[in-house]
Amino acid sequence: MPEAAHERKPDAAEEDLRLIERVLSGDRQAFGALVRSHERRVFRVTLAVLGQVEDAEDAMQETFIKAYRHLSQFRRESRFTTWLTRIAVNEALQKRQARKEHVSLDESPAIQNQDFPRRFEPWAADPEKLYTKQELRDLVEKAICSLSGIYREALILCDVEGMSAKEAADVLEVNLLALKSRLLRARLMMREALCTSLEQRRPFGRKVFDTAADVKSMMGMMLMRVAGR
Amino acid sequence: MRMLSCEEVLANLSNYFDDECSAELRAQLEDHISKCRRCRVVFDSTGKMLKILVDVEPFEVPLAVSARLYSRLQEVLSEE
Repeated sequence: MPEAAHERKPDAAEEDLRLIERVLSGDRQAFGALVRSHERRVFRVTLAVLGQVEDAEDAMQETFIKAYRHLSQFRRESRFTTWLTRIAVNEALQKRQARKEHVSLDESPAIQNQDFPRRFEPWAADPEKLYTKQELRDLVEKAICSLSGIYREALILCDVEGMSAKEAADVLEVNLLALKSRLLRARLMMREALCTSLEQRRPFGRKVFDTAADVKSMMGMMLMRVAGR
Repeated sequence: MRMLSCEEVLANLSNYFDDECSAELRAQLEDHISKCRRCRVVFDSTGKMLKILVDVEPFEVPLAVSARLYSRLQEVLSEE
């Protein structure tokens, strides 16, 4: 299950609460520490919705300003990260509406023909061992950027930020079924895009065979080639 | 146990990874996956993709963007 990996350190939420207390009692420096610990998440979320760094930057600034001004309204029933993410998504959605961007709504709840997987090569047992983290990050970012907005935001909120489908549906103000359908399609598209780039970038001679069957059939082909058949 | 079709298996991919399926459905999915190479590849690579998405921590804040954020916040906070 992917959930566990998303969690920040267990004491991170408590540290947030300590910092919030300090900000509310007048310590502005403490807000800087809160920003440092959350800026990446906020940037990623605004970028997911808006798709452009310049707009994401504006929305990120507005998010933190709003969070500072409304910090006293933060209720501890939810985690600070959820509260902040909600503000970030709202800021980004408002900006997107202001851009009067056409958001594609040609979605149907069921998966369509074009969503069916086309690539069936097994992945390496551990693809993360074949690339540096930066290389893999570049591939992932390129693949995420190839998704259109509604898929990109569902994927980032759920699979990078670790929100549940319900939380993501809530902050994006779409119904749960629509969110789940977007997430499924986003995952299928993302897998397909990564299949292509992992295959293209796979270092020569380091191709890893996942199943004995693949090795066996490849050995068979090589032997036939050697035998000149 | 009824064998699911590949379409049914695919439609339940998210439910499988988000742990939102009954024990019975999970068993049916795993049974299909163990017998169908294509679905096995799709599930295996999707699981790996989900792990990669978290591990690589995509989209760093560019340094200049971060610097402008702090200077804007400094302005705003000192005015309040």
